[in-house]
Amino acid sequence: MTQRIEPDSHVPVYLQIVERLRSAIAAGVYQPGEALPSLRALATHLKVNPNTVQRAYEELDRQGLVKSHRGVGMFVARRGAQSARDRAEDSAQTALVQAVTAAAAAGLSTSRIRELFEASLDQVFVAEGGRP
Amino acid sequence: MIQAIPNAPAVELIGVSKRYGLATVIDNVSLTIPRGTTLGLIGPNGAGKSTTIRMLMGILAPTVGRVRVLGIDVATDAVQIRRRIGYVPERHDIYPWMTLGEVIGFTRPFYETWDDSFCREMIDLFELDLRKKVKQLSKGMLVKLGLLLAVSHRPELLILDEPTTGLDPIVHEDFLDGVLRSICDGHCTVLFSSHNLGDIGRLADSVCILRQGRIMVQRGIEDLLASAKRVRAVLTDGHLPRWVPERTLWQQVQRREWLLTIDGFSPDVAEQIKAENPVESIEVFDLSLADLFRDYILGERAHR
Repeated sequence: MTQRIEPDSHVPVYLQIVERLRSAIAAGVYQPGEALPSLRALATHLKVNPNTVQRAYEELDRQGLVKSHRGVGMFVARRGAQSARDRAEDSAQTALVQAVTAAAAAGLSTSRIRELFEASLDQVFVAEGGRP
Repeated sequence: MIQAIPNAPAVELIGVSKRYGLATVIDNVSLTIPRGTTLGLIGPNGAGKSTTIRMLMGILAPTVGRVRVLGIDVATDAVQIRRRIGYVPERHDIYPWMTLGEVIGFTRPFYETWDDSFCREMIDLFELDLRKKVKQLSKGMLVKLGLLLAVSHRPELLILDEPTTGLDPIVHEDFLDGVLRSICDGHCTVLFSSHNLGDIGRLADSVCILRQGRIMVQRGIEDLLASAKRVRAVLTDGHLPRWVPERTLWQQVQRREWLLTIDGFSPDVAEQIKAENPVESIEVFDLSLADLFRDYILGERAHR
């Protein structure tokens, strides 16, 4: 959780927090049943308004990643990690569709796009000694 | 004793104008800040931000309209209001010959609600040396002292007038930390004016854009970012746009490229642009607060 909040991005701050916590839950930083940081703790850590953190927690609750226990705090839901990974798949697909649409609009052929995709995979996983 | 309206908004301006002779500095402004929320006031220099704040403080009286703070009319009891709010002005006038400890001891008795342990927390957070004299303080330290004095009585409303202008990045971060602790611990409402849109994005729930004494928009930041979009259309050779959506904030045509910023955007609006204009293609982009601020200000200038 070292990545900084970008307060003047086109992505609203609360969604940046949602994305950060979602990936932390998917990666197991916070495990099912464990508490997320308090509003005050996370707000002062990220230097954002506690109302914004509250909004992010409500969104994670809506997505089924966390459960709120009134007066106690926010806890990772039993199937929180799985839901977080499912969400990650959704957003990865959205990003890929966007990239493919842009490439097609620029006149690239299907086979050329496929080559570029393969090259990107190699580029990303080369540091880890080949693809998993 | 003047009766305050319980649960009234923290701030209410109703049809407020301020004129100096023929010059209108504030032009029929109505603004409400609900309790427990933070509003960022932004606008170019001379837009009326400081005038608005000084009317809330009872330093200036409006020419027309009503100003209520914490449910109390500022014209009737500014003193009672001053005890319940905290104010960090753009320029500080704290007695320069006093030590920090003396300044705190001098300020404390004015407030029944002074919170010694919170004051201590702020002293530690800001690493202030109480034996130092005010005149020996750097700009950053002076700003921190100003915030400490404004929040140690746990105000119901905190008003900050361009507080972070000219601060180095470390002091800036400490200052934000101090403001956040004040917001987190109580149910403090905050109004702050700033040119720093990053601070607005971090601290504010909603934003109010002022230009030449008038409100261009007042809305929740998330709502604003979700609703206003930039459209880029490629025009058919030799043609100009024929139909422009009603809530266009700003537009520009350069060669074949037609750029528009539209509030209240929906896919239907994009379809209508395509149907009504000679365009080859259309793309839609999200905007940041800085983009939107620019388009609100520049768009209005273009209409004049």
